[in-house]
Amino acid sequence: MANAWKIARRSNVQLPLILVVALAVVVVLLGKAQGTLFDRMRAHATDTMAPVLEKLRTPVAGFDRFLGSISEIFSVYEQNLKLKEENARLRQWRNAAVVLQGRVGHYQALLHAVPDPKMDAVLARVIGRANRPFLQTMILDAGRQNHAMPGQAVMDARGMIGRVYLAGQRTSWVILLSDLNSRIPVNVAPGNVPAIMTGDNSATPRLEMVSHTVTLHAGDQVTSSGAGGLLPAGLPVGTVVADGAGGWRVALLADPAASQDVEILNFSKPPEAPPASAQLPAEAAGLKPQTPPDPAAQAAAAQKQAQANAQPSAQTSAMAKPKPVQPPPGQTAPAEPAPSEVVDR
Amino acid sequence: MVSLERTQAPRFRYLVALIPMVSGLLGVLIANIPVSILGGLVPAPLFGLVPVYFWCLLRPDLMTPAVAFSIGFAEDILSGGPPGIWTLAFVLTYALLSRQRDSFAGLSGLAAVLGFAGAATFACAVAYFTVAGLNLLSGLRLPPLVPVVSELMMTVLFYIPTTLVVGWLHHKLVGAARSDV
Repeated sequence: MANAWKIARRSNVQLPLILVVALAVVVVLLGKAQGTLFDRMRAHATDTMAPVLEKLRTPVAGFDRFLGSISEIFSVYEQNLKLKEENARLRQWRNAAVVLQGRVGHYQALLHAVPDPKMDAVLARVIGRANRPFLQTMILDAGRQNHAMPGQAVMDARGMIGRVYLAGQRTSWVILLSDLNSRIPVNVAPGNVPAIMTGDNSATPRLEMVSHTVTLHAGDQVTSSGAGGLLPAGLPVGTVVADGAGGWRVALLADPAASQDVEILNFSKPPEAPPASAQLPAEAAGLKPQTPPDPAAQAAAAQKQAQANAQPSAQTSAMAKPKPVQPPPGQTAPAEPAPSEVVDR
Repeated sequence: MVSLERTQAPRFRYLVALIPMVSGLLGVLIANIPVSILGGLVPAPLFGLVPVYFWCLLRPDLMTPAVAFSIGFAEDILSGGPPGIWTLAFVLTYALLSRQRDSFAGLSGLAAVLGFAGAATFACAVAYFTVAGLNLLSGLRLPPLVPVVSELMMTVLFYIPTTLVVGWLHHKLVGAARSDV
């Protein structure tokens, strides 16, 4: 084979090589500083490739399922028994959950609790998966034209899979919870222990920032905490498992490798409009907000006041009498107080 | 082959000169089709590195630094990782190959595979340490080594079938001698 390798004449490429290396370094630094430029290019490339990916998806998914099923053929009987047992247990838990859900609703009604914000969801199909050394992602067939936006949570039937981090017109890229760059604020129940779940490209992300005074247990439930307002609270994420080195990890409920259809949750807290500061005390007291005085009416009132001063009469006592307080809407007006009461006040 | 090449029409020769670049870009495209055959167990190989390695040794006039840059940049755009990582890795690997061309081009048989494994290891090491440096600058954790090693192993594993295709293209279309393009 050595003879086959005919070495070409050494070309004088040293100068452009140095320039190209410098340009590559610039690209790395530019990518760090202005990542959105590259994201736009990626989104455009994926949008262009989307029809091809959708056509490739079906046969490859079938082949993938076939490969995955080969190893499961020999354990079908055991799996069936295990699933029956798990199904019976889950039915009991379902009944308990229904009862508790009703009780929570009752308590919320009693306390006039602010209801959770409603979320729209976009159903999307997984048209691609990429397992690269520095990125674990999946590509969905819903983009900006379907109102999928970066930051939105992506769920499958079992739990949270990840977040949209790049949205093109017709496709979007999802950063998986297991990805190296994924960081999600979570709560560990029972006890509502706050923590940060960080991916490290393994199947079980780490639990970090857990308070040292808290003791976690394997099997504790992990849900999104909603801290920061980027993700809704209470999305099921996984269960706590020990990592054998004194730390804790999360066994994810969702299975990104097997998910075919997912939901993109459109969670956006409506901005709370602050009340006008001038109206706040009156409204807090249950009164109607005062309208700003009309300059013409003010001038007319001043004129009347001047006339009244000029003609002191019995009308003075009548003008001094305060006007009755306007009741708030829905309440009846209180009886007009007696003159003696007015004087006392 | 030289005589065949001399008989080619000039326009056809310009098209032939594009084959190394097109092969590299096609390799990048195939490697980054986001379809998982094995359920995402192993990463896709760096198909784009094989044409860079092959033609950098045989036809450096066609596989120029700019072409290596383009193939690395395409890998960056389609793979979705931190921008510029594979661009830098491919260009630096090209620089290594162009400096050690005589050593690499003289390899045959298993040694040729090991030579490519060395080049691929260098490319993956550049990518890994660049990402690690960027992560350290951002206060993030070091990236895990296992996925990079898996990608390296897959790349070396697929070197022989890929180089058969690239070699066929070379012998049938490109030719071993330096052209006038």
